[in-house]
Amino acid sequence: MSRSVQYTSSPLLASPTPVWRSKFLVGVIALSFCGLAARAAYIQVFANDFFQRQGEVRFSRTIELPANRGRILDRNGLILASSVPAPSIWAIPDDVDTTADKDKLQQLARLLEMPLAELTRKLDEDRTFVWLRRQVDADVAARVAALDIKGIYQRKEYKRQYPEGEAAAQVVGFTNVEDRGQEGIELMFNQQLVGRPGLRHVIKDRLGRAVEDIGEVIPPVDGRDIQLSIDSKVQFFAYQKLREAVIGNRAQAGSVVVLDALSGEVLALANYPSYTPDRRQNLTGAQLRNRALTDTFEPGSVMKPFTIGLALETGVVKPSTVIDTAPGSWSLTGATIHDAHPHGALTVEQVIQVSSNVGTAKIAMQMPASAMWEAFSQAGFGQKPQVEFPGVVSGRLRPASRWRPIEQATASYGYGLSASLFQMVRSYTVFSHDGQIIPATLLKSSQPAVGVNVFSPRTAGQIRKMLQMAAGPGGTGPKAQTQGYSVGGKSGTAYKQVGKGYGTDGNRKYRSWFVGMAPIDQPRIIVGVMLDEPSAGKYFGGDVAAPVFSETVQQTLRMLNVQPDMAVHPNIVAAAEEESF
Amino acid sequence: MTRVNLFLLLSVVLSALYLVQVQYDSRRLFTELDRAQAEQRRLQQDSERLLVEKRAQATPARVEKIAHEKLQMRQAGPSITTYVNYTEPSTASAQP
Repeated sequence: MSRSVQYTSSPLLASPTPVWRSKFLVGVIALSFCGLAARAAYIQVFANDFFQRQGEVRFSRTIELPANRGRILDRNGLILASSVPAPSIWAIPDDVDTTADKDKLQQLARLLEMPLAELTRKLDEDRTFVWLRRQVDADVAARVAALDIKGIYQRKEYKRQYPEGEAAAQVVGFTNVEDRGQEGIELMFNQQLVGRPGLRHVIKDRLGRAVEDIGEVIPPVDGRDIQLSIDSKVQFFAYQKLREAVIGNRAQAGSVVVLDALSGEVLALANYPSYTPDRRQNLTGAQLRNRALTDTFEPGSVMKPFTIGLALETGVVKPSTVIDTAPGSWSLTGATIHDAHPHGALTVEQVIQVSSNVGTAKIAMQMPASAMWEAFSQAGFGQKPQVEFPGVVSGRLRPASRWRPIEQATASYGYGLSASLFQMVRSYTVFSHDGQIIPATLLKSSQPAVGVNVFSPRTAGQIRKMLQMAAGPGGTGPKAQTQGYSVGGKSGTAYKQVGKGYGTDGNRKYRSWFVGMAPIDQPRIIVGVMLDEPSAGKYFGGDVAAPVFSETVQQTLRMLNVQPDMAVHPNIVAAAEEESF
Repeated sequence: MTRVNLFLLLSVVLSALYLVQVQYDSRRLFTELDRAQAEQRRLQQDSERLLVEKRAQATPARVEKIAHEKLQMRQAGPSITTYVNYTEPSTASAQP
């Protein structure tokens, strides 16, 4: 073994290389390989997750698949509310070149229906992000996109459209800019309407195209459609007639409810004043409220049929029993009950027909207060109606044990308790449905309604006859008559509470009602009309509310294809001619 | 032995190239599918939008207005209607 390696024979060039040097180099190289191996092991085994994640961040994307909000349909499947794409326009003001693109910005301002000055002001608000206009129409968005201005972008959003407009506004309600329900059915059924967005993970290539799905795709679940019992034609017609009556009578507000007497479905529920759901600037509570469901008032004479019904049911009186109502007033424990006009001796039927407070109170005082309370609450008074709507109120019916005699007497003709129009209309199913009260619903139902007995079918029939008399000649509501259809109903005119009392003569405020049904022998619909503070001279329910009832009944029955049950003098000039072949 | 090895090497190379081709194709087709699906969604939304617009053009309010003002039509009532007695068995309950 020599101490060095001889590379050349020339001694001049001979450089003695120590052996350890080559060994050292081999060692160093081996070590660096070890380092590489360790690094590889670290990357592939120990820190694999980290690197996988980093990789994914660079090429994989999670895409949310939006779910469509369900539609709201009427009973015939017509759209009452539906979501349509309405892109929002936004900008990165720093990227917008206001001098070079001036013409285009001018056009943009026109498309967005705002002056150019406002547009530039918006662009000055922030440097990195500003909404120019949210939820524009799809064709406007397309034209904005066609302008192709640098720094102007669009974000996909959805907007709720309400083709029916103000006629059904309070029932359907509306959503906010995030497409969440805020009022009405939109709020009540928000859970079912929203649906669940889906998710998918994809790998994108450098052009941003999805090239591969990774893992499972969670498909979006669209919101359920909600089908209401509302018939949009009946709804529109009822709204139109109500609006005419409210304006014509210079009333504060009004409501109308049309109920299917067989199934308990609400065919129409309209309020005035209303609003256009698409334009909700300057909305007031008065426009927003669904009065028919959320406002309660003293029902007045509309309650009388229940008192009389109970008296007939318990055998206290018969329809032909004579009650002396002279001289049109009756003193009871210090208080006096008045009739609008004095009547003499009246049969029970006539008490309803002419709407005598004295007669009703005299009959009521022959019955225990607890029995009256029970009948009233069975008919739904003081109970919250089981209807799918936010903000439904229960009204007030104090326990019978706390009624003083005068309170029992006034309760018999509808004072000292309160109810909403909806409750009143529903309570009249007792008379239309052979003594049974049936649940009312805003959703379309295919099953026949199951009722709870309040009165016997015989009593219900007798009351229907009285209601027919009340809506006929000599009654309080002859203006409720329709062509071809027999109607029955009760008008009501209640003093509104003004401060502590009911105001003084000449300074009173009224609320006028009419609740009735048609055709009277086998009622198909129940219609309730309420006008708040009619102040154009007339204020009796039979004068201001009954005409709305009449027209609504006439049109609704025609639309429901109900054949007239009364003889109609035909106005058709039909010349029968032989057909030629 | 060498020949077999060469053959195997060749087939490995070929199948590898084929794999690249298939991968490329699948990505291209996937992109197309994705685009078609996006188009489908867009068209669906468009159809929904048009449906709503059509409905907005045919609301009772508008029909009433046009019938009344443009066409001078009026409400039908029982006095100008001839009723034909025909009872469908299924809708018997709807008849009075």
